[in-house]
Amino acid sequence: MPEQHFIPDTPLFDRAGSIRGYKINKMAMALGQPQNREAFKADEEAYLDRFGLAPEEKAAVMSRDWHEMVRLGGNLFFILKIAAVDPTPITQIGAAQASMSHDDFLYERLGKKRNG
Amino acid sequence: MAEIIGGIGTSHVPSIGAALDKGLRDSADWKPFFDGYEAGKQWMVEAEPDIAVVIFNDHGNTFFLDKVPTFAVGVAETYNPVDEGWGPRAIAPFEGAVDFSWHFVDKLVERHFDPLVCREIEVDHGLQVPMELFFGRPDRWPVRVLPIWVNTIQYPIPTPQRCWDMGTVLREAIESWPGNERVVILGTGGLSHQLQGARAGFINQAADRAWLDGIAANPEPIAP
Repeated sequence: MPEQHFIPDTPLFDRAGSIRGYKINKMAMALGQPQNREAFKADEEAYLDRFGLAPEEKAAVMSRDWHEMVRLGGNLFFILKIAAVDPTPITQIGAAQASMSHDDFLYERLGKKRNG
Repeated sequence: MAEIIGGIGTSHVPSIGAALDKGLRDSADWKPFFDGYEAGKQWMVEAEPDIAVVIFNDHGNTFFLDKVPTFAVGVAETYNPVDEGWGPRAIAPFEGAVDFSWHFVDKLVERHFDPLVCREIEVDHGLQVPMELFFGRPDRWPVRVLPIWVNTIQYPIPTPQRCWDMGTVLREAIESWPGNERVVILGTGGLSHQLQGARAGFINQAADRAWLDGIAANPEPIAP
């Protein structure tokens, strides 16, 4: 484990995060299976209840609050599967976390060229 | 003995594969990127490898946090693309270099490594994308593969020294393999990049270049 846990603006997926986020990540991991994606789409809350998510975890998922999901221990690798169901582009998730418009995110963070 | 014909480092971000799936190879956003790989692709054609060793990390697709191997090695006959949430991608399955892979596993354990040995396992974009970048989209891949997964997702992750040491065992395995296969090694993954938090998308180009220069010019780790 790294001794230095604080990096500015960076929620590290450290041991506490991994332990805390286990259920939310397990729920998201299961979306790798088509039948679970169908269940999620059919009744999202019932699907989340199957994994025993806490009310704040459910609220974060159902409002697609990516920042909050990460704060609760969600790991992008897993919660991207929620984005795949919607579907929400990963760049949209990046923009939401960076509090930028999608276009600004593409230009300023990902090096997209303006006017071309 | 088998021969190491080269080592290649490359990104494996999934959007590269998605761009190919959507036919965006020559779009304004993607063309400069893919054009940059043409020289490497051509090198690969001329080098005619028989086996590709692909070192990568899973991204919460094949392994969950319930069981996290520090190092995992495939000895399977076939590796199918895993469903990452969008359904499995329509690319050819990868044929395993089975006998050579077992030989590598034997060498690892002989040298006091304790890998997870995988006889049946699927592969995510970490292996798929590098293969596509250097071999295109064939109906059948021109090489057999030896996949090596390195844990990067949940602490504790292996130390750089341990990864270095595994590389020396890989060399030993290749050089002690009685076949005459030509082996290319693909080291894959990102340089600086951030997915989580307010610095999502942040790239530290100066640090990346310093790291690349360091591993190219002076790869031997400094003894503690």
